Amino acid sequence: MKLSVNSEIAFTYLFARKKQTVIAALGVMFGVSMFIFMQSLMKGTNDYFEKQSFNTTPHIRLYSENKVADTHILDSFIKDASVKILVNPKQLLQRQGIINPNGVISRLRKDPELSFITPQVTTNVIYTSGSVQLNGTVAGVDIIQEDKMFDVQGNMVVGDFRDLNRVNNSILIGKGIAGKLSLHVGDNITVASGTGSPMIMKIIGIFQSGVKLVDETKSYANIVQAQSLLGKDRSYVTDIKINLKDYNKAPAKAREIETITGYKAEDWVQANAQLKTAFKIRAMILNSVVGVILLVAGFGIYNILNMTIYEKIKEIAILKATGFSGYSVISIFLQQAIYIGLMGAVIGIGIGFLITYGFSKVYIGGPNPTSGTLSYIPMSFYIPHYVEAIFFGLITTIAAGYFPARKASRVDPVTIIRG
Amino acid sequence: MNSIALKAKNIVKYFNDPVTLKVLDDISFEVKTGEFVSIVGKSGCGKSTLLYILSTMDTTYEGELEVNHQKVTGLSLNQLAAIRNSSIGFVFQFHYLLPDFTCLKNVMIPALRLGKYSYKEVEERAYEKLKMFGVEEQALKHAGKLSGGQQQRVAIARALINDPAIIMGDEPTGNLDSKNTAIVFDLFQRLSKEFQQTIITVTHDEDFARRSDRIIEMSDGRIINQH
Repeated sequence: MKLSVNSEIAFTYLFARKKQTVIAALGVMFGVSMFIFMQSLMKGTNDYFEKQSFNTTPHIRLYSENKVADTHILDSFIKDASVKILVNPKQLLQRQGIINPNGVISRLRKDPELSFITPQVTTNVIYTSGSVQLNGTVAGVDIIQEDKMFDVQGNMVVGDFRDLNRVNNSILIGKGIAGKLSLHVGDNITVASGTGSPMIMKIIGIFQSGVKLVDETKSYANIVQAQSLLGKDRSYVTDIKINLKDYNKAPAKAREIETITGYKAEDWVQANAQLKTAFKIRAMILNSVVGVILLVAGFGIYNILNMTIYEKIKEIAILKATGFSGYSVISIFLQQAIYIGLMGAVIGIGIGFLITYGFSKVYIGGPNPTSGTLSYIPMSFYIPHYVEAIFFGLITTIAAGYFPARKASRVDPVTIIRG
Repeated sequence: MNSIALKAKNIVKYFNDPVTLKVLDDISFEVKTGEFVSIVGKSGCGKSTLLYILSTMDTTYEGELEVNHQKVTGLSLNQLAAIRNSSIGFVFQFHYLLPDFTCLKNVMIPALRLGKYSYKEVEERAYEKLKMFGVEEQALKHAGKLSGGQQQRVAIARALINDPAIIMGDEPTGNLDSKNTAIVFDLFQRLSKEFQQTIITVTHDEDFARRSDRIIEMSDGRIINQH
């Protein structure tokens, strides 16, 4: 084996103190594997919740928002330089919905970054079955598009969602509604919105999203049906739902769409602000735990190298006397730190992967009200975590090794040898 | 034959702790290639201090020092380390081998540092040196397991591995019995006579000094006699 003499000395010192070397490496290993485990758990959970939120919210939702009255009408009447002040301005009712939705949609379709664009009519309704009433919302959608965006098929309990396009006056209801009103596929349900006349609709399927609030209120209908439920014409659309090819670009894209269309574009980050805050706090907690572990591992290495140098101070003096420069001495001791770090990091990666894999197989209950659709602990296997773990492991060991190594390089051979 | 291996010019050295004290006062002398010089004097006369300056390890002095026709005063610590590595062999009163390594490795390390020969050649040369001093059988033992005399011989082999121009000894026999002292002395004499290597030792052993080529006698930081 071809080794530089510095490396050879570093190895010999490491092997001469196997126990300490192994203990120091274990410290790094522990830090690295915990880093991987925690990062995997965090990313797994975050990904799960993010995906979960995309089951119900699109990347961008475009809708018309009521505005506070402003002075622009006054301005056009009184054309002087006077300052107009509105006392107690109120919200103005806009013509509900998006004007010329087809024009807006065809315009958005030209943007290559958007992958899905679908109109929707949302309305609050009261479901009635027998003498029992229930509040909820009906989403009038193009169910085929809806399936592509939100995986309706994956949430289906019974029935075929495509029947929404085939059966007249049909509706797809949440499992919670079905339970509360004891309805089954094939039953009829009376649905009444605030504006149109009540309709009797036929249940063609039941879905379960895992979010209790959604399952107890939401139902899908054909967009045309929803329009007639509201007593509106075919051009009436309340929302346009947009998905992007890369959902991380949603906030910027939403601002762009807002400027182009003049409607309010709400991206998923705004819609799920509480989710993002939770991610941040979780990241902070886990990173500080991992940071402390790595710090402790670093102190372990620092301590061991310091002891080695204290014990070997005469040998360091001899090495310097026989022509080893300060750089060589730093190299010898820093290499020891790096080998300890590498050893710990490599084993740590293995252990980290095993822990992550093990936890990903822990069953925490299938679809039920408390865990939603989560059946196994969500763990992600994300290569950059492993790279980061090695990086942080090595940074810690190099930092911990550098100071003792520098101390060793400054040993004055004359003072040591003369005693 | 008359070339100069080492030249010291007006060396002055102070110790500053606890009070400023002049330990070496205007020391000037030359050592020829192949010469075997002993520096003698009472304890505290500054002879070891002088030796450490000559060895380039101590750099806090006034005056000028030349080793192998090269002025070394004022060079950086790393340059000095390189000079020590290639041109100066050092033997200490206590052997100071690295106990975690075998004797062979101990001898090899300075040569590996120098990097002039391949690993295999270094190994062969180290083995040869050990053989020269009759400790080849201990080559693969760890340095800590040898007797004092054997260790000192290994240490001398180490000092020789890079064929240095100058070998310096700080009481190399100070810790040895008379039998081992004789062995070490014979070795030094052979090195200077047969291999033309310059030897400078500090010693308390009058017998040892008397048999060398030249004695430099020091007292209170000055050279008082050379013969």
